[in-house]
Amino acid sequence: MSGALYLILAIPLGAALLTLIDGWKLARAATAIAGGCSLGLAVAIGLSVRHGQVLVAAAGWLRVDALGAVFLLGTGLLYAMAAVFSIGYLGVEQHTAGFPSFAKRYYALLNLFGWSMLLVPLAADFGTLWVAVELTTIVSALLVAIDRTDAALEAAWKYVLIASSGLGIALLSIIILYATGTHALGSAYIPRFIRFSAHARQLSTDAVQVAFVLSVVGFGTKVGFVPMHTWLPDAHSEAPAPVSALLSGSLLSAAFYAILRFFQVAVANGDRSFAEHVLIVFGTMSLVAAGFFVLRQRNYKRLLAYSSVEHMGIIALGIGFGAPLAVAGALLHVITHAAAKGLAFLGAGSLLRGYDSKEVASVRGAGRTMPWTGPMFLAATLALSGLPLSGVFRSEFEVVAGGFASSQNVGVVLLLIFVNLAFFGVIWHAGSMVLTSPAAAATGTGAAPGAPLSAHAPGERSVWMIAGMLGCLFVVVALGVHLPSQLSSLLGHAADLLRTPGR
Amino acid sequence: MLVLPHWVIQVLQVVVILVLAPLVTGIIARGEAIIQQRRGPRVLQPYYDIAKLLQKETVLPEPAGPIFRAAPYVSFAAYATVPLLIPVLTTFGLPLGYMADFFGVGMILALASFIVSVAAVDSGSPYAQLGSSRLRSFGAFNEPTVIFVTFVLALTTHTDLPYAFGATIRSSTVQVVRPSHLLMIAAFFMLVLVETGRIPVENHGGTLEFGQIEEGRVAEHSGPGLAFLRWGSSVKQLLLFTILMNVLVVPWGMASSGDLGAVALAIGLLFCKALGVGVTVVVIESSFAKLRLYKIPEFTVASFMLAVLAVVIFLFQPGYGDLHLTVFGATATISAVLVLLLEFGMLRSQDVWEQLRLYALSSVVVAALAVITAATGHGNSSLYALGAVTIALKALVFPLGIRFVLRRLDAEPRVPSVIGVASGILVAIVLCCFAFVALRPIHIGAEAALPLSALPVAVGGLLIAFLLMVLRPHAPSQLLGFLVLENAVSVASLVIAPGLPIILALLLLFDVLIGVLVFVVLVQYLAVERTAIRTDLLNRLTG
Repeated sequence: MSGALYLILAIPLGAALLTLIDGWKLARAATAIAGGCSLGLAVAIGLSVRHGQVLVAAAGWLRVDALGAVFLLGTGLLYAMAAVFSIGYLGVEQHTAGFPSFAKRYYALLNLFGWSMLLVPLAADFGTLWVAVELTTIVSALLVAIDRTDAALEAAWKYVLIASSGLGIALLSIIILYATGTHALGSAYIPRFIRFSAHARQLSTDAVQVAFVLSVVGFGTKVGFVPMHTWLPDAHSEAPAPVSALLSGSLLSAAFYAILRFFQVAVANGDRSFAEHVLIVFGTMSLVAAGFFVLRQRNYKRLLAYSSVEHMGIIALGIGFGAPLAVAGALLHVITHAAAKGLAFLGAGSLLRGYDSKEVASVRGAGRTMPWTGPMFLAATLALSGLPLSGVFRSEFEVVAGGFASSQNVGVVLLLIFVNLAFFGVIWHAGSMVLTSPAAAATGTGAAPGAPLSAHAPGERSVWMIAGMLGCLFVVVALGVHLPSQLSSLLGHAADLLRTPGR
Repeated sequence: MLVLPHWVIQVLQVVVILVLAPLVTGIIARGEAIIQQRRGPRVLQPYYDIAKLLQKETVLPEPAGPIFRAAPYVSFAAYATVPLLIPVLTTFGLPLGYMADFFGVGMILALASFIVSVAAVDSGSPYAQLGSSRLRSFGAFNEPTVIFVTFVLALTTHTDLPYAFGATIRSSTVQVVRPSHLLMIAAFFMLVLVETGRIPVENHGGTLEFGQIEEGRVAEHSGPGLAFLRWGSSVKQLLLFTILMNVLVVPWGMASSGDLGAVALAIGLLFCKALGVGVTVVVIESSFAKLRLYKIPEFTVASFMLAVLAVVIFLFQPGYGDLHLTVFGATATISAVLVLLLEFGMLRSQDVWEQLRLYALSSVVVAALAVITAATGHGNSSLYALGAVTIALKALVFPLGIRFVLRRLDAEPRVPSVIGVASGILVAIVLCCFAFVALRPIHIGAEAALPLSALPVAVGGLLIAFLLMVLRPHAPSQLLGFLVLENAVSVASLVIAPGLPIILALLLLFDVLIGVLVFVVLVQYLAVERTAIRTDLLNRLTG
């Protein structure tokens, strides 16, 4: 089964190479196929480690346990859906000048981006983990800038500068962890996760705590924890929609995965409550700040970006609450948030293609003009707000219930208040976009009279976009209606790895 | 072997300083000429100048009074007194050696400077008065610097006698590579540059020029008086060099008894040490431009701030226990401090080319640290490879590549700053102090041999790199900030985790390489699309 680890890395890389050798039609086919294969392999890997087994490959440099598999699943899903969606999303521009080279560049980078994010949960040591996370930053920065508009360049520059600086801090945390390990593990060793977990009791508590806090700050910059989140709304709003979906659903949680590896060491070292409190503090700050920012957004992609900050806060709180149910819920939330936020951003991309505007005020009556996208976008926002029947409801419910179980009442109450605040903001905006009459748009935006409405009339643009959204919607609803026993077993084991590492 | 009585050595100290001083001045002038590809004056020229001036008659300006006439001799006498008080040739205190402490030495030097300034006023010449008023106002921060340098000395030795300090260092050599000590040396060296009228403060020994300070002050003197002033300033220079080397940097190589051979050796070594400082001065004079006149206080303030930082760091440094000086420990701390100082330089600089040079220099320091770490057996031999890759990538490919791109883009080399340079440096000092305060109670629990005192310095460097990125709204400069941040982390990694497997170290470097490529691509986009690389113009996306 360890062959799957090689395959899941080789396929996106191979697809990236294929995009370079021939035209953009081969590129898009290769990307879609690679995305699909990656999703299949991620599911296969998830199935094979669901009882707590571990897959190891490449002389120990690659390693997947239940915890890694959870993040692999989220990334695989979004990679596949984004690849499918991209066919339609780019297809709209098919006849513009310079499209073939743009499309080839886009697909090559998309595959590399997917590859680097699949590499993150496969890394077996802190060094490779850092390299993989930094690679995701670098590749995605180019994807954010790919439109080369002023705003896109600004977003990309902020993103790469802030995220790289954060990763500089993260690197320092790895080095401190390494230094404290020299006492127990010898002066030269490979900083594997399992070695740290096994010898965690011999590490200096001071150093582990410093390393953990630095890693939360450093990798947290990429997770989008407030106050290090400033790059996030810009990058998410200016990137092409499929890239936004990947950024929000996969990249943020990939960085969170890195924090979890430090969390394991910190817990195994003995001081569980310290590590949990750090996560609770950052989670609460993100939740509170994002709740207010959601209310005042006028750009629906930025709205969704702040919603990502909020959901990362929820995941951090879930891990921080520490109860088994809450931790499992937080891990489930990684997947459900990926699906729901993927759906939302893909829907936003479809709306953008339909209406040529990112402003909430310009989009009116999407429910009628775009009979597939409109309802699905509304469904996505409802799911993100945690309405029952969606997977997000299940995971948030578990987090809340687990929080009460571990009597973290203040945190849970804050969570409930601000989730509802965000709910209000998101639904208010989304409702105004979808459930209004189309005529309102013309008066609302003051569109130039006599504009060629036929060329820009809102409407569905491509069946591929709808297919990508349907895939995400299926996962959101399916996880809400029924949680497969295989997945719950996987989540249970992953939660165990976080609660009692080193055993 | 002949043993000299102490009083003979005491006299000898004065004679050696007085005799050698013009020679050192001559050698520095010649060295500078050679670097600038001129023939330059003879090495012995200062002696000839003094001899010539001594034979000339004195011409007094009309308003000159007795102070003007006495000033050259008083100041020379003051300079000639100082060698009695500092360790020039011996490690043990000579009979008159305890007459004054470090402050006393400072006061005698100040007296010499004061009397010359008063004489300049006495001369009635506006030019001389301008020189002395400049010296007074720019030099306002020199005295606090001396005081803080003395604080570090006093904190270390619980006394401020120059002799006692040398003895403390000799008995516990690890003192000499403490971060606080290294910063104090840097501060004192900057002070020496100011006091001896060197670039970047003053153009030494040129023709009359409006930027001149020291030379302007003595413009009205002539004949024997001028001879003694010239000689006096050479003596002052050698005295400061001697204090720098024999007290602060290398208090070794002096005679421990009155033995004639040992004393002769000490004289030779003193000359060599002075030449060492001289070479550094020559290199600095040839590679930096003179500061504009109103920028000079920034330089003296920076020196003062470094001295303050040295004191704060001393108060918060980790306990040393019974550590011994090792090559690895010394190199690690010195490299960390050097990288930090180079970052201060980048923070001060407003020219992207200069920042590039400073970055390349700090990369060389990192590479040297890698090589020495391997050579002292603290990492495996693959660190040699890491050193080579570091040199190739970070000292050559990155700076040259960035320079190439910026040249091609015809980018604006002047780097704006959000706040004033002096304020920026002040913030940087505060950040450095914060790094020390924050890391003080933390116990890393690593191998005992690791020089953990270098860690807070490296973390301070990391924070300053952030500051650099925040304060400079200029895309290439922010890229350099990121790179120098990576350098600071590299230093930290080499200092506390030298055993990190080479494969990981190379992967990290590879990542940085790709990162730089992406940064450069974005800089190009920014330059092409916006015809500007000012990042403070990037303010569209908010909220």
